[in-house]
Amino acid sequence: MRKRTKRLTLVLMMSLLISLVAGCGGGNNNGAAENKGTNTNETKVANEGEAGKETLKKVKLTWYLVGDAHKDQDKIIAEWNKMLEKDLNTTIDVKFTTWNDWMTKYNLLLTSGEKIDMIFASNWADFYKLSKQGAFLDLKELLPVNAPVTWGNVPKQDWDSVTVGDGIFAVPNTNSEYTPDGYVYREDWLKEFGLPEFTDLASIEAYFDAVKTKKNVTPINGAAYENVNRLFRFWNDFQMISGEIIGATSYENPRDIQIVPFTDEYEAWVKKMKEWEEKGYWNKNSLSSKQEAGDFIKTGQGAIYWRNPSSAGGFINEIQAKGLKMDVGYFPFTRFHNYVIPTLPIANGMAIPKSSQNPERSLMVLDKLRNDPAYFNLMTYGIEGTHWAKGEDDKTIVIPAPGVDLNVTPRYDIASWGWRYEGNMKKEKGGWEGLDALKEEFKPISKQDIFGPIYLDYEPVKTELAAVNQVFEQYGKPLMLGLTPDVDASLKTYREKLKAAGVEKLLAYVQEESGKYFDEKGIQ
Amino acid sequence: MPGKGGIIREFNRNKVLFLMVAPTLLFFLIFSYIPMVGVYYAFTKFDFDGGLFGSEFIGLKNFEFLYKSGILWNLTKNTVLYNLAFIILGNIMQVICAIFLAQLSSKFFKKTAQSLMFLPYFLSWVLVGAFVFNLFSDFGVINTLLKQLGLQPYDFYLQTTPWKYIIVFFNIWKGIGYGTVIYLAAIMSISDEYYEAAKIDGANIFQQIRRITLPLLMPTFILLILFSLGGIMKGQFDLFYQIIGNNGMLYDVTDIIDTYVFRSLTVNFDIGMGTAAGLYQSFFGFVIIMLVNYIIKKTREEYALF
Repeated sequence: MRKRTKRLTLVLMMSLLISLVAGCGGGNNNGAAENKGTNTNETKVANEGEAGKETLKKVKLTWYLVGDAHKDQDKIIAEWNKMLEKDLNTTIDVKFTTWNDWMTKYNLLLTSGEKIDMIFASNWADFYKLSKQGAFLDLKELLPVNAPVTWGNVPKQDWDSVTVGDGIFAVPNTNSEYTPDGYVYREDWLKEFGLPEFTDLASIEAYFDAVKTKKNVTPINGAAYENVNRLFRFWNDFQMISGEIIGATSYENPRDIQIVPFTDEYEAWVKKMKEWEEKGYWNKNSLSSKQEAGDFIKTGQGAIYWRNPSSAGGFINEIQAKGLKMDVGYFPFTRFHNYVIPTLPIANGMAIPKSSQNPERSLMVLDKLRNDPAYFNLMTYGIEGTHWAKGEDDKTIVIPAPGVDLNVTPRYDIASWGWRYEGNMKKEKGGWEGLDALKEEFKPISKQDIFGPIYLDYEPVKTELAAVNQVFEQYGKPLMLGLTPDVDASLKTYREKLKAAGVEKLLAYVQEESGKYFDEKGIQ
Repeated sequence: MPGKGGIIREFNRNKVLFLMVAPTLLFFLIFSYIPMVGVYYAFTKFDFDGGLFGSEFIGLKNFEFLYKSGILWNLTKNTVLYNLAFIILGNIMQVICAIFLAQLSSKFFKKTAQSLMFLPYFLSWVLVGAFVFNLFSDFGVINTLLKQLGLQPYDFYLQTTPWKYIIVFFNIWKGIGYGTVIYLAAIMSISDEYYEAAKIDGANIFQQIRRITLPLLMPTFILLILFSLGGIMKGQFDLFYQIIGNNGMLYDVTDIIDTYVFRSLTVNFDIGMGTAAGLYQSFFGFVIIMLVNYIIKKTREEYALF
């Protein structure tokens, strides 16, 4: 009896095991078939190699970019793959996170260990934190071999800026930019009202007031928070170091790091914002609105939109191309304090996640993409003749290409920032001229970024950080927009809740880490 | 009660049946039990090199952020109360609709009504969120109407009171068609003989519903409620996220564990803290379902789940 049951158990176990093995076996067989496939390809390439070509095994890579794909993305990638297959025997599957919740998806891609051979990286996408956690591959050894051109044409200080510990974890873009915030506004309305150009808060307020009373338009229509928050930061010259809560009180006093909602400036500001809210400069539902303020400008129902100079340029170009009857201007907030901070090299870059199986090939592709104009133009500007056309010289392009309707084929504007190389960048003909003027304006007042490279991984205070962020979401945002009925009371609640969440511990941490960095660089 | 030998004997006697159940067991083993190892993330400081077991063990530190801000109680309360409202009100509404539909004689009307009720089930919460916004925003349908009537507009997005009802309403509205079908099927399976006997005894339609339909629906009702109770700690993330979004003004009454965790983790992505929150939810969900099942077993054993 016993024996029989034992045997039965054994049989059952075996059957379970067999089904398991069978499951895995299927995979193995497939793998073998794939191997065979690559082998034949390899021999083919090897044969070609004899004819004087480089011997490269055929590989398929996966690249990830943030943001949205273009309508014609498949066509462009197919075109690119044709070139890649010919030159490097490689095909690439390019995937996009879309802008919706991109940060969560981005983090998940890296933590889940999905096989990715190249991904967009940036200091605003936690490049430093992720490198320290070991998400990216160290490229130090690979770069001189597999990306020699890039290795040569990226300045040494740029490589230094992506060095974490003793490894190089990304290839930064080489296209220094100024991306301060500012307001896009209705120039024609400003003239109509007879108001002066923006110079300070009062002139902006006068514009808001006229828009509201004379045009009966809500100046900041749609989602208002960032529009107000950016103005707050620049007007008071707060240099935020940790999210929306902790920052230096000005560029001149980097070591004076404070909890911003605890400052007098903040108190004065939120009181003013209560006034603005009561005057109806934005809607009461602006925190729930998912529409961008800029979309309302296009329909004549809005008057303000925060942008950086180049995206303001894109916005203005779009309005012109669509033939909307309005005149739109741009005011950079840098004019409040008369200095501007250029972006860090790693504001945009490309990195290789640890999960990559073909880092060498991936780097070779990047090297080609950055430096070969044919590759660069295709992936950065789209297909010639469809998305753009050659201008009078090599450095100028025309968008849209002649005979192309932007409403049918929209601008090709994927997040190509990671591989931009100044030498290959083109200027758009008939584009917004303000952009060049701003570049000239910024050059003499440029100041080094001393806050961006402060490296914070929040490991010792991550509990406090999570709690503080919640408090900020719940109490800070409504207060900034003056949505609470009693400002004094809600400011008091906000401050108390921040304290309870451990904001002081967070402050101590930020001060200590910033201090370390300032000491190292000799900044007082 | 069969002893140790009893299990083996049982096994022996029904080996074919056991063999037949094996694929299911295997399925659950592979897709539900083995992945459960991942809860270990809740106790580690995640790093990419270490992976699951290589990461440093840090005990309960990941759970700290849940109670640090002191709103864990509020979150749990919101989650549980909303779900209770969804489950109980939802099921009651579904039963009522099912009974009405069952009593209808016009086949055309019955089909149409059923389809119309089912339609919202297929809408995504993103769309529902857009409806809600266009109904209640400053320039939404309701405020425009109020202004036209010369009344003071109501700032829905600044007041917490209406949202409890709005959220519960939309959830019930969306789920009603689906639940009704289940109850309708249960009603259809009630033998006509009961109703005929009742008619002969002179019972009117309300008496028939009260004395026959409702008692016979009870087992289905309890079963469905019990099933739903298991997920009482799991909030409907998309519902709350799409309707409320980032509006901090309303969090006191509309924040549930899921939205809270989502906000915490999108700002400071941390797989350990995310798993910790998930574990907290699952653990209490488990406790609740065991408790409810225990109580039901004590009182009306035939209705218990297991």
